[in-house]
Amino acid sequence: MSLLDIFMFVARVAFAAFVPLCFIAVCVWMERRGAGYFQDRSGPNRAHIFGFRAAGLVQNLADAAKLFFKEDVISGHIEHKFYFVLAPVIVFFTALVSFAVVPFADTLVLGGKSYIMQGIPLDLGILWFLSFVGFGVYGIILAGWSSTNKFGVLGALRSAAQVISYEIPMGLAIVSLLVVYGTVNLNEIAQFQGKLLFGFIPMWGAVLQPLAMVIFIIAAFAETNRTPFDLAEGESELVAGFHVEYSAMKFAIFFMGEYVAMFASSAMIVTLFFGGYQIPFLSTATLISQAKPVAFLLMVIIPVVMYFFTGWVRRSNVSHYPRENDPRVFEATVYIKCFWGLVIILEVLLLAILFSTSGGATAHIFVVLLQVCTFLLKITMMIFVYIWVRWTLPRFRYDQLQKLGWQMLLPLALLNIFITSAFVVALS
Amino acid sequence: MFAEALFFGFAVLSVLGAIGLVLFRHPMNGAMSLVVTMISLAGLYALLSAKLIFALQLIVYAGAIMSLVLFIIMFLNIQDSDLPTEKGRWLYQLGGIIVILPIASFLIKIVKSIPGSEATIVGSGFGGVKEVGLVLFQDWLLPFEIVSILLLVALVGAVVLAGKRRMGK
Repeated sequence: MSLLDIFMFVARVAFAAFVPLCFIAVCVWMERRGAGYFQDRSGPNRAHIFGFRAAGLVQNLADAAKLFFKEDVISGHIEHKFYFVLAPVIVFFTALVSFAVVPFADTLVLGGKSYIMQGIPLDLGILWFLSFVGFGVYGIILAGWSSTNKFGVLGALRSAAQVISYEIPMGLAIVSLLVVYGTVNLNEIAQFQGKLLFGFIPMWGAVLQPLAMVIFIIAAFAETNRTPFDLAEGESELVAGFHVEYSAMKFAIFFMGEYVAMFASSAMIVTLFFGGYQIPFLSTATLISQAKPVAFLLMVIIPVVMYFFTGWVRRSNVSHYPRENDPRVFEATVYIKCFWGLVIILEVLLLAILFSTSGGATAHIFVVLLQVCTFLLKITMMIFVYIWVRWTLPRFRYDQLQKLGWQMLLPLALLNIFITSAFVVALS
Repeated sequence: MFAEALFFGFAVLSVLGAIGLVLFRHPMNGAMSLVVTMISLAGLYALLSAKLIFALQLIVYAGAIMSLVLFIIMFLNIQDSDLPTEKGRWLYQLGGIIVILPIASFLIKIVKSIPGSEATIVGSGFGGVKEVGLVLFQDWLLPFEIVSILLLVALVGAVVLAGKRRMGK
């Protein structure tokens, strides 16, 4: 094992472990600001450190500090304390581990060796994801049951029934996908989607399998217990459902687990249906051979985008009434300077790529970084869809939820399998 | 070396889980120890490089079936007072151990008499989805279909039984 091997190993595991954790902050911020946007209000934007509010991101720090220093109560009536403590850990851990097999860039070839860009270089792919999504139910069941509380038990019952029933349409939607892709390995699936249909449409799962995409996304919403499927929590009827007895960090871990699950399933949706890390029309091979033109194009685009972005920051980050020495203008100036500093660093790095040997290791690493950025961008968009749906649609009634799962999605998924198989057999 | 340590870890865990299933009084504890056994069995399959079986064990047994079992236990809401008093429980267990001991020693003898064959890693394609699928649908097609018909019969039977009960009321 050379030094490079060890570095790549650590880097991949660190990426798979820490990026979901960092995205918790982004998700919470997007959720709260997004809710504010959809409900025509500002959302959290007051918490600050020395006047720097970071568009509301500082609120996350305040929330975290609050939850961290709250009293951690385990009520006296709870008999099975072990399960009570274990439940949030299971929810969080299974969500985090299910992301480990998602490839975040194409296989990196360095010095004749290839590195699969996944947290765990397993080729089980979807099967691994399905198994860990299934494990997540244990956390919810144990939490609701060990709370010894009618709201908790009701929430856990609903959630378990919901997750178990929606696993079936999800699995069947995946079956029709597997018929098209011919593999369960997520990296191969992402590579498949780099090709072009009829020479000009990217062969994304969304194009080839639109019905499976709809079914899978609905089932993924149900599996992550997000609105319109958040009957497990249902504030208006069950107080908080399965986590009603939890406080402080144990509650926070449930909360974080939900966002990690959202991140992981967004990553899965992106990988299965939206080309994964692929940049549309630019396959990995093209990118590596054309690294210099791409880098040059980025050198031009980034400052232009930043110019408009900083202009927007300058215009919107002001007080709504006249103030002497408006502190928000000062704040905006500092942000803009930081952003331009970032742009300068990026430009220097891109310039280095322009002067490197073409097709060498630098080009390979550059392409990997580009693909990682594309992947994270796609995931962020998908997370936005989650938030969008949450603040737009009302909650289902319980019988509607089961009806949708068993009478709509299941037959549709079965039909989709038959149609897809007929097409694949006829075309091959 | 690492694989050996993993093997012992999983083996000990699976046996402990099975013992827990038998010895715990509360059904939830029993079910959770069975989950531990299922997961360690999956680990043992992975060590045998049976990748597909590993995933299926996790999805089907450790995931779906056991969560249904937990679901039912939660539904029944069993309190300590609902559990039957098991008199002479230890006597039964002692008797069970006495019956099992000769069989176990016989099995250990058999395992020891197996000539020490060197463990070699089979080809990287072994146990993958494609390989198992090919074997299943080429060499074992008829047994596979018969088993699926058996499952279908069980499914129809469950529906019929559930329907009958409602009619009676």
